[in-house]
Amino acid sequence: MAADIGIRGQAVRCEDLSRTFTSPAGSIAAVDATDVTFAAGQTTALVGPSGCGKSTLLRLIAGLEAPTTGTVRIGDETPAQTCQRGALAVAFQDASLLPWRTLRGNIALALTLARRPADPDRVDRLIAKVGLQGFEDRRPAELSGGMRQRAAIARCLVGDPELLLLDEPFGAVDELTRRRLNYELPKLWQANGTTALLVTHSVTEAVLVADRVLVMSPRPGRIVADIDIDLPQPRTRGLESETAFRTLTATVAEALMDIAPPRQFAAQ
Amino acid sequence: MTAGVLRHRQAAWGQGGARALAIVAVLALWELAARANADSFVLAGPVEVARYLWQNAPLLTRALGATLQSAAWGFVWGNLAAILLAVAVVLIPRAERVVAALALIVFCLPLVATGPILRVLFGQGNGPQITLAALAVYYTTFLPLVVGLRAVPQSWLDLIRSHGRGRMTQLIHVRAPASFPYLIAGLQIAAPAAILGAMVGEFTGAERGLGVLTIRAMRALDVDATWAIATLAAGVSILAYGGFGALVRRLRVESPAVLLTPPDHRHRRPPWRRLADIGVIVAIALVLWQATMDLFDLNPFFAKRPGDVVAFLLTGPDAAAHRATLFAAYGETLVFTLPGYLAGLALGAGLACGVVLMPGLATTALPLSVALRSVPIVATAPLIVLALGRGAVGTITIVTVMIFFPTLVACLQGLRQTPGQIIDIFDTYASGRWRLLRLARVPAMLPAFFASARMAVPAAILAVTTAEWLATGNGIGSLMALTASTSDYNMLWSAIVLVALTAALAYGAVAWIEAQVLAVYAMEQTVRR
Ligand SMILES: Nc1ncnc2c1ncn2[C@@H]1O[C@H](COP(=O)(O)OP(=O)(O)OP(=O)(O)O)[C@@H](O)[C@H]1O
Ligand SMILES: [Mg+2]
Repeated sequence: MAADIGIRGQAVRCEDLSRTFTSPAGSIAAVDATDVTFAAGQTTALVGPSGCGKSTLLRLIAGLEAPTTGTVRIGDETPAQTCQRGALAVAFQDASLLPWRTLRGNIALALTLARRPADPDRVDRLIAKVGLQGFEDRRPAELSGGMRQRAAIARCLVGDPELLLLDEPFGAVDELTRRRLNYELPKLWQANGTTALLVTHSVTEAVLVADRVLVMSPRPGRIVADIDIDLPQPRTRGLESETAFRTLTATVAEALMDIAPPRQFAAQ
Repeated sequence: MTAGVLRHRQAAWGQGGARALAIVAVLALWELAARANADSFVLAGPVEVARYLWQNAPLLTRALGATLQSAAWGFVWGNLAAILLAVAVVLIPRAERVVAALALIVFCLPLVATGPILRVLFGQGNGPQITLAALAVYYTTFLPLVVGLRAVPQSWLDLIRSHGRGRMTQLIHVRAPASFPYLIAGLQIAAPAAILGAMVGEFTGAERGLGVLTIRAMRALDVDATWAIATLAAGVSILAYGGFGALVRRLRVESPAVLLTPPDHRHRRPPWRRLADIGVIVAIALVLWQATMDLFDLNPFFAKRPGDVVAFLLTGPDAAAHRATLFAAYGETLVFTLPGYLAGLALGAGLACGVVLMPGLATTALPLSVALRSVPIVATAPLIVLALGRGAVGTITIVTVMIFFPTLVACLQGLRQTPGQIIDIFDTYASGRWRLLRLARVPAMLPAFFASARMAVPAAILAVTTAEWLATGNGIGSLMALTASTSDYNMLWSAIVLVALTAALAYGAVAWIEAQVLAVYAMEQTVRR
């Protein structure tokens, strides 16, 4: 992985994208008429209240969910085509490691699925990068929640994807490890020019990791604020005490407070 | 989870000492009962059984070898069929309704009637034994395997999809390994069932096997022989079941939480759609029936087609008389089956609750009933007939026993499903055992109870027809035996159709009641998957 040649990633364009779930109990518009473009090679953070449709938007982009209206294009491909090439990786909200495989086996699976040759060295290197060395032969049940999430990130990165979709990848990681990973992990994909989309509930994390932060409104999910984080990449320790950083965090937090409150609160 | 499994295992097998004690107690009781009834020619005690086994060891060994060989082949073929069917259902979800319904109908074919037909078809040899053993096992593997192949988190499947790979890769990398514990659980139930199927096959005029010896002993009213053979068959079945249990513990496979999920009622289908479904399935079944007969060019003398049955029962010259005979026998059978079925379910569920209220009982009751659950009905039926006679009481008891043990085991396992946190919450309110049982445990038990009530339908019919055939001379089982021996194949096929239809409809009815009850008591269980 040399720090190489420009941008591998593709731009992602969502046009008039919406997804409505219908069930006997009624229908829910999870994502509504969203037009958004994610620039190639950029890392974008997506923040918003719980249940506003962040995961759904990610699944739509990964082609795991069929849109009710609108389209998703990754470069000039459909999501299905990008998946076919093994160029897309998703980390799910739950780590979803396979319990009968070891840590190593789980990470190597991504290469198998992408029809790539096995590469034990690379697998072990990634395990070390996420701080799990020594646990290579353990099964997921023997790992803590945070360790499993780190394993899931390693699985995403092992195939060196062009598009990386991370759904609250650090949700169960302790605050200290989380900060360290916030600084360390983005380098792994940003150096390759991977386009990344990160869902998070942490404003600090969003500003620390991303080049751009999008704020989503409660259902139906729409993008209501678009904030550029013009801090130089890669981010380095000490950034959190800088004024520019603080101002940006405050801006994002304000945008989150400004969005329309959920209906049950509004009624009062 | 691990702690739960551990607790489960401790309770399931008890301390070795308690188990040994239970066995000794049973043997002692048995011997006492035999001594007390010494002149009634009903019961042979362990001493007489052991003597008979010892004196006839060569004969019994040969017979056992033949039975086990047929059972093993039936086990292989039946489970292979189950795996293929389950994979087909998962790869082609659209086919599920039809495949599952046809699999059920075939499972509901009464073994005691298909046996004689297979005998004519295969002639001598062990073809019928193997086929019946396969028929006896495939459904109990198919159902849990489908559940296991399905019960995987969506995100595991999404992981595969996000790499642009399809159903086949999902099957290989996710579903197959995930369903392994379910397959093992199915195979464990299948092991004793294969022995049962093989023995029923041997009743139909095989040269060798435990089934042959059973028939001979019953005809000769040889009490020692009947008990000795039954003990042998029961012992081997318990060993087969227990052996699988040991293998499971060896492989450290965790037992799945639920083996049989309730019928899927996520998509509420309007009644007319369901009727249409049933119509389609019946049509497919009829076409398959006709096509199989024609494809293999089977002799119409014994291989009747749908048209023959229609003519025999509806349009032919003596149709009314045929119907009268058939339905008279059918009525007799129903009168025996229904009370036995209900009594077996009630006793099983009741005792399970009793065991929970008196936890001390669990250490002895569960291993004992797990063992007895695997005793084939063909082994116990002759004993019950000896003891209770060839009348209604004997037959009803046979059905009850057949239903009781699986229900008890399933309910005990279901009762254990009550989540620990819920029990903790009740404990913090210092609720008594009864309240806990009524409000938390029984609802948690219901899915297991209904799953076993469903599976008990074909089992009850197998039990009643076997009993009627072997012993009582009443009802449709006896009618099938009679018509098989007099080559009245039109009546035999009509009886098969009627019994299979009844079983399939009763199964459907239980599934419907199950859906209604679970919709109220166990919401999360009906929407899971
Ligand atoms: N498969 C589904 N079927 C029905 N409704 C769904 C489904 N998936 C999501 N929803 C609904 O869509 C809405 C958005 O869900 P989504 O999972 O995208 O939220 P989210 O923003 O990721 O929330 P969180 O931050 O809690 O993860 C929710 O109200 C949810 O109820
Ligand atoms: Mg989410």
